[in-house]
Amino acid sequence: MRVSDSSWTSPRGNFESVPTSLSSDQRFTAERAFSSVLVSTVREVVGDALGRNVLEILTSKGLLDASNNAKEFDLKLQSLFGNGATVLERIVVKDLNRKLGIPYDSEARFDYEKSLEKAKEVCFVESRLK
Amino acid sequence: MFRGEQAEMIGSEILSTLLGSEVRGDLLVLFHRNPGLIDTVDGVARRIGRTTVAVINEVRELLELGVLRQKRIGAFEVVSLDRAKDRELLESVANHLKTVRISGEK
Repeated sequence: MRVSDSSWTSPRGNFESVPTSLSSDQRFTAERAFSSVLVSTVREVVGDALGRNVLEILTSKGLLDASNNAKEFDLKLQSLFGNGATVLERIVVKDLNRKLGIPYDSEARFDYEKSLEKAKEVCFVESRLK
Repeated sequence: MFRGEQAEMIGSEILSTLLGSEVRGDLLVLFHRNPGLIDTVDGVARRIGRTTVAVINEVRELLELGVLRQKRIGAFEVVSLDRAKDRELLESVANHLKTVRISGEK
């Protein structure tokens, strides 16, 4: 099933694939819905893996401000956790996929940015069907 | 070595061990979301959708670190979260992270 008819690049270089058949209101609503799910998932995963104190420290350092920008978030996470960043990102994607009903394959090659793009497309398709 | 340097090194080592693999991350999330959980390694593996083989070494790492503890109940060896030790380790991690500069941080 093709879910995206065109692509665009936002000024911050984040998610690129957006279905064209959404009205601007629908797109705005879908963007906000996805952003909300993503940020809450990142908070849950970091808090549940490393505790509330760590979550508060990372929040104060602005990590969560970058949750919606996969590249920036990845860079910040790498600077804090090194190789552990990928572990957290995988858990974020796994939880996000579970919430959105997307299958997760832990054996597949992992790309955080592409995983989020895919999850966002599902959000947009669901918005289009409503 | 100064005490501060030692504390920082320990915090970073703890962090590396805690996030040493995806399975270990899954185990941390499982036990933190269910702090009263007591189960066999087989049971824990099922709960995170993995095989016992994939989980056993990761559980061992967390036992060695002290996040988990093991005891025998009847015929079964079970593991559970050592809440006091876990809190202590996460505090070290938090203290370490306070000193690390995040990319783009002013």
